[in-house]
Parts: sequence; structure tokens; C-alpha cells
Amino acid sequence: MVLKYIITGKESEMASSTIQNNIRKLRFEADEMTQQQLADRVRVSRQTIVAIEKGNYSPSLELAFRLAHIFNTPLDQVFIYEPEDEV
Amino acid sequence: MSYQEKQNIVNILSGLLITVIYAIIVYQRQIQGRFDLTEDFSKWGILFLIFIGVSVVARIIIQIIFHIINAIATREEKTPIEDERDKLVKLKGTRNSYYAFTSGFVLSVMGLALGMPVHWVFILFVVFGLIAEIIDNGSQIYYYRKGV
Repeated sequence: MVLKYIITGKESEMASSTIQNNIRKLRFEADEMTQQQLADRVRVSRQTIVAIEKGNYSPSLELAFRLAHIFNTPLDQVFIYEPEDEV
Repeated sequence: MSYQEKQNIVNILSGLLITVIYAIIVYQRQIQGRFDLTEDFSKWGILFLIFIGVSVVARIIIQIIFHIINAIATREEKTPIEDERDKLVKLKGTRNSYYAFTSGFVLSVMGLALGMPVHWVFILFVVFGLIAEIIDNGSQIYYYRKGV
């Protein structure tokens, strides 16, 4: 139990279960932008884009705004917050 | 496998290699009677300082070799940029290694209180230092694969 907390951390469980995103769909709509192209434009690695799309990583507020800015879309259309009791 | 995962594996292997080789050399000298680490504690200090120096130099060399081999194998000349996710993964790895080393320190002190020979404290420091490093890099690999 303790080891599980040390390795996973509570915050990571929350991060992957409560925030969904539409990045894949938005990339497709933006002339099928590749993950690498998006990564270069928001100055992160392609692996980070992959992790965000899979819901394995919740980006910082700044990166979330940068992503929304690239797609010229409001933030709440890129990321969707679903409280735990509704998931 | 991402660049960071490969780098963490190289770190684990190089940490193990350097520590084991250095420990064998020190142990052989101890057997040959060049010094007595069960009595001469100032020698432990010298050995630790030499180990830090040797370890830093060896790791730099291993990292350079890793970069060259990785560049040849993947044909990517640029080292990937370190972004916010990498920093978070590193921080969590460091936190886990801190837990491991602190546990080792407490166990060593408890052993000392229960009558364990003093030189074993230094040996346990080395062992838990190595375990802490493995946990640091191992947990980073875990976070890269399973998510932060």
C-alpha cells in the first residue's frame, strides 16, 4: 500500500481519471497535424503529447493554454474535466 | 523505447557496474591487508571521496558513449528537449530515492543501536545508496510507461 503510494502517488491516479481531452480529434481537424508537429509548436517532446492524448499525463495550465492557442479553441473544448464521482 | 527510458536503464547499469567494480577492488585490498576498514574509519572517508570522483568521471564517459551509440542507432543527432513532464518524472524519481536512502540510513542507525559493528554502517550506506539510485531510475521508467 505504502509502496504503491510512493510509486504511483495519489495525484497521478486523479490526473489520468478525471481529465479527458480532444487533442487527437483537434489534430485531425487541423490538417492532420502530426504529434511531432504539435510537440514542436508547443515546445515539448512527442512522448509528452502521446502521454497527454492517452490521458497518462495532465499538462500544466500553461501548456494546456498553449495547446488551446495552437488549435485556436477555448480551453474547455480541448480538455474536459469530469469530477471523480461522475467518472 | 524513449530516449529517457534508455538513459535510465544506462544509469542503473552504470551505477551497478561502477559500484560493484569499486567494491571488489576495495575488498581485495582489504584482504591483502593494505588497510583495515573495520578499525580505520578515516580510510572510509577517503574511499568515499575517491568513489565520488571515480563515479562522476566514469558516468560522464558512459553517457558520452551512450549518446554516440544512440545517435548512430536512431539516426537522431538532437538530444530530446527536457519538458515539464520530464521534470515532474525526475522529481518523483528523486523523491522515491530519498525515501529509499532515508530508510537505509534509519536501518543503519537502528543496527548501530543494536550492537552492529560500526564499519557495517558504511557498507550499508553504499548498499542503500545503490538501491536508492536503482529506485530513482527504475521509478522514472515506471512513470514514463504508466503515466505521471
